[in-house]
Amino acid sequence: MNASKAIEKTLVASPERKLEADADLAVVRRVQAGDVAAFDRLIGKYRERVLGIIYNMTSNREDAADLAQDAFIKAFQSIHRFQGQSSFFTWLYRIAVNSTLSHLRKNRLRSFSSLESIGEDDPVSRELVDALTDKTGAGREAFVRELQEKLNDAMLKLSINHRTVVTLFEIDGLSHQEIAEVMDCSVGTVRSRLHYAKQLLQAELQPYLRR
Amino acid sequence: MNRSDRKITVEDLLRIKRAERPPPEFWSRFESEIRAKQLAAIVVRRPWWDGASRVFAVVYRNRLPFGATAALALAWAGVHYEGGLSLTGHAVPVGTAGPTAAARAPVPRVQVASASVLLSAKVEIGAPDRAPPPQALVVSNASHLTKAPVASQTESASRTPFVDGIEIALVDFRATGPDLAKGGVFGSDREFEASVASVHQPAAEPLTQMDPAGERLERLLAPALPTYSSSGARAFASDRLKQKASYDRMYESMDRYGAGGMSLEFRF
Repeated sequence: MNASKAIEKTLVASPERKLEADADLAVVRRVQAGDVAAFDRLIGKYRERVLGIIYNMTSNREDAADLAQDAFIKAFQSIHRFQGQSSFFTWLYRIAVNSTLSHLRKNRLRSFSSLESIGEDDPVSRELVDALTDKTGAGREAFVRELQEKLNDAMLKLSINHRTVVTLFEIDGLSHQEIAEVMDCSVGTVRSRLHYAKQLLQAELQPYLRR
Repeated sequence: MNRSDRKITVEDLLRIKRAERPPPEFWSRFESEIRAKQLAAIVVRRPWWDGASRVFAVVYRNRLPFGATAALALAWAGVHYEGGLSLTGHAVPVGTAGPTAAARAPVPRVQVASASVLLSAKVEIGAPDRAPPPQALVVSNASHLTKAPVASQTESASRTPFVDGIEIALVDFRATGPDLAKGGVFGSDREFEASVASVHQPAAEPLTQMDPAGERLERLLAPALPTYSSSGARAFASDRLKQKASYDRMYESMDRYGAGGMSLEFRF
């Protein structure tokens, strides 16, 4: 089964997704009728989510920006083929994930990361940083920057499959079953890959862990 | 919060990545870039072969009208080409230049090989100032290699390679074909008139062209009567036959005679 189909099944299941899909479908029909400006609403609505998915898979904001733009352009170019059998977001998600996986496979040897800043308005991340360091001001920012780099280095040491599993499970919040459908593998394989990836990450991030 | 009391796992560290957000100015640049890419996708420049393939597709879709138009154009070009030569040849009558001009330009039509050359000769006759040399019109059937330049000299501007090609083909045909075919098909106008005159002659009655009855009977019966050496005996037998069979009966029963060698048998 295709990974994007599994994502589509997962995301369309909830009623909220259903309503959202209906609203998106109306906009898509307008775009298909020739209202090109209506596509800007779809871009503004989904740009952060698409960029977040791609950024967490690539650990490079420039590549993530390019890939996200390409995903939107591909969706725009082939929107006349969108029949509405799935939600627009899952269709767009499938395009973005496939483009990112293709990009990662083409650029295996390139490991250049560029990081976004951590938003201080997120209470979970602020609490975590507070637990990790007593520093304030510039010292705190430097610590957070170092932690980001360590996290990205550890992620880049994982294989593409392991990185994808970690991204989908820990960052995007998908379940094991959903990831299995996404990656076209069994749930046991997902758990195995996730366990192995966590072991590697623990070894890489040992100085920051506390038991 | 006391930092030593907090348990930190890999999952906690990975949650930091969720909080990574691009700065607000990033989105303005993102929007401008994606808009430029969107416009580029809309007005994408097609390769030249795409235009050619679309032209071929249009031609293929309307192949019947295009084919009919092309056929009509070719037919019109052919008719126009033939008419141009004819008009050029008949535009100036022979007698318009006056008797003196006609006398100065003798009519060289005896050895002309093709109709087009003859037409050009008429034109030259009508225009006495441009009267061609006689040897230019006396075209031999021997070789088209010497005739083609002569023809191109007589027809200066209206001649085309296509005309030369036709003339060469005609001369080749006349040089290799029998005389009957030359005169009947591709001959000059005089030869054509002769052939037409022979065709349009009133059909003669076959019986009128036959020999007189007596002579014919004698001619037919002569091999059958070898024993009658004298003319008197031959006349006697002829008279007897004249009495027994009428002309019509004899004419109708001609198939009843069997000719075997030098003898003629009668089967009654």
